[in-house]
Amino acid sequence: MTLEFFEVEAVGLGATLQDRGRRGWRRFGVPPGGAMDDHAAAWANRLLDNPSDAGVLELLLQGAQVRALADGWVAITGADANLGLPMWQPVHVERGDLLEFSHNLCGVWAYIAVEGGFEGRRWLGSVSGYSRARLGHHCEEGEILHRAHAAAFQMPPSVANRWVETNERRNYRIPPVLRVWRGPQWELFPAAAREAFFEQEWTVSGQSDRVGYRLAGEPVTGAVPEIISEPVRVGTIQVPESGQPVVTMRDGPTVGGYPKLGLLDSADISWLAQCRPGQKVRFRPHEAGSEL
Amino acid sequence: MNWLPYGPNAWLLRFAEVVGDDAFFLARSIETEITRRPPPGLIEYVPGFTSMLFEFDPQQSGIEEEVLPELLQRFSFGMVAKISTSPVHEIPVIYDGPDLGRVAELNELSVEEVIEMHSSHLYRVYLLGFSPGFPYLGDLDPRLHAARLPSPRLKVPGGSVAIGGEHTGIYTVDSPGGWNVIGRALLRIFDANAVDEDSPSRSMFRLKPGDRVRFVPEKKE
Repeated sequence: MTLEFFEVEAVGLGATLQDRGRRGWRRFGVPPGGAMDDHAAAWANRLLDNPSDAGVLELLLQGAQVRALADGWVAITGADANLGLPMWQPVHVERGDLLEFSHNLCGVWAYIAVEGGFEGRRWLGSVSGYSRARLGHHCEEGEILHRAHAAAFQMPPSVANRWVETNERRNYRIPPVLRVWRGPQWELFPAAAREAFFEQEWTVSGQSDRVGYRLAGEPVTGAVPEIISEPVRVGTIQVPESGQPVVTMRDGPTVGGYPKLGLLDSADISWLAQCRPGQKVRFRPHEAGSEL
Repeated sequence: MNWLPYGPNAWLLRFAEVVGDDAFFLARSIETEITRRPPPGLIEYVPGFTSMLFEFDPQQSGIEEEVLPELLQRFSFGMVAKISTSPVHEIPVIYDGPDLGRVAELNELSVEEVIEMHSSHLYRVYLLGFSPGFPYLGDLDPRLHAARLPSPRLKVPGGSVAIGGEHTGIYTVDSPGGWNVIGRALLRIFDANAVDEDSPSRSMFRLKPGDRVRFVPEKKE
């Protein structure tokens, strides 16, 4: 049983439901999907005692407006879109309240969790909206979003609160140096090219989405231009002939034909996901992934 | 045959150097072997042309020391059976794609010759990738090879039959794409809404790696 909770008055630059994605379907060409910033999405659910695979609403940058159709608890994490409500803590909304993600201030993806979790169109066991094939749950303007009927979240408003520890509330303006494991074609890149990749500061390109994030900088050259297409993991740093790396994200293709320099550590994919176009980012070899 | 590390808990098995008969049948034997007797802790495998990705449960111990070497032994089949009993799918196609002329020109053929050559071969499904159920069909006649478009189209309709380099394939959903579109398949090979609780994969994805495909030209309606 589900309950009506939000009306989507505007989808803004993009609104989908996401959860932890669909596993085990890559050999059929189906990418895993799931929240781009799994760290923020997980905290939103955790704040409300939701199951870790509960559906959350994922909003791109700005422009989305949702109106509460019922009273209830929500938790908002991720990108700051000038919402005017506290983030990273449970918030009680009342019927008729309008949540306006008017203007992006930092980060890329904002998350709203609701007590019980959002329910939506499932495909292969997941609500995660998969843009390339329009599968899973994509929000439409005027649509009513439902939440699962679960035991009510208990917390007296304005009296007590819980929040996310300061060091877990990320400042997306200052990402750490991101950790990279060796990729299958590591040896195909000349040592100088690998050093060039780790030594420079990269700019996240505007041509970045749920499929892949492009990086702009001094080209990484010297590897073979193409390889026989082989399986690709989420977080893989592929280097096409242009020398401008592309990091495969959660809706990215399951196979690819560019040499793979490395693999972004799974815990750092969320950091890259929240980097806005134009933002600078640096990489370093993962300690356990050994030296240059 | 060797293992290449691919981040935490994952390895890429490189089992051939070139695409072709040997790689194809070896891949099928490896797949059969791991399906029949999955190694401990295997979460997911993804086949490529000459490689296969194996992802393991982080909790599983002894992968590098025991599981991977043991798999290599199991995969060293003395002789790989090349007699294929895999299903053959006949897919009716209307050859009227926007890039039919381009493929003909690039290879100095007539449009009729392209259609004749493209539809007279029995193709193998090497792998599914790019988008759900999209088959990379191998052993395209070298006289039909055609470089990808200089800039990809923003929307290629689902069902488009296309040539990309040395492969031919079928777009399964509307998506951006850079392959040369030569026709329209009249048979759906991917149905996201097919409901079969027992075997979602069988009902949703008509083709599997190892299957074979023949295109049957149809008259324009």
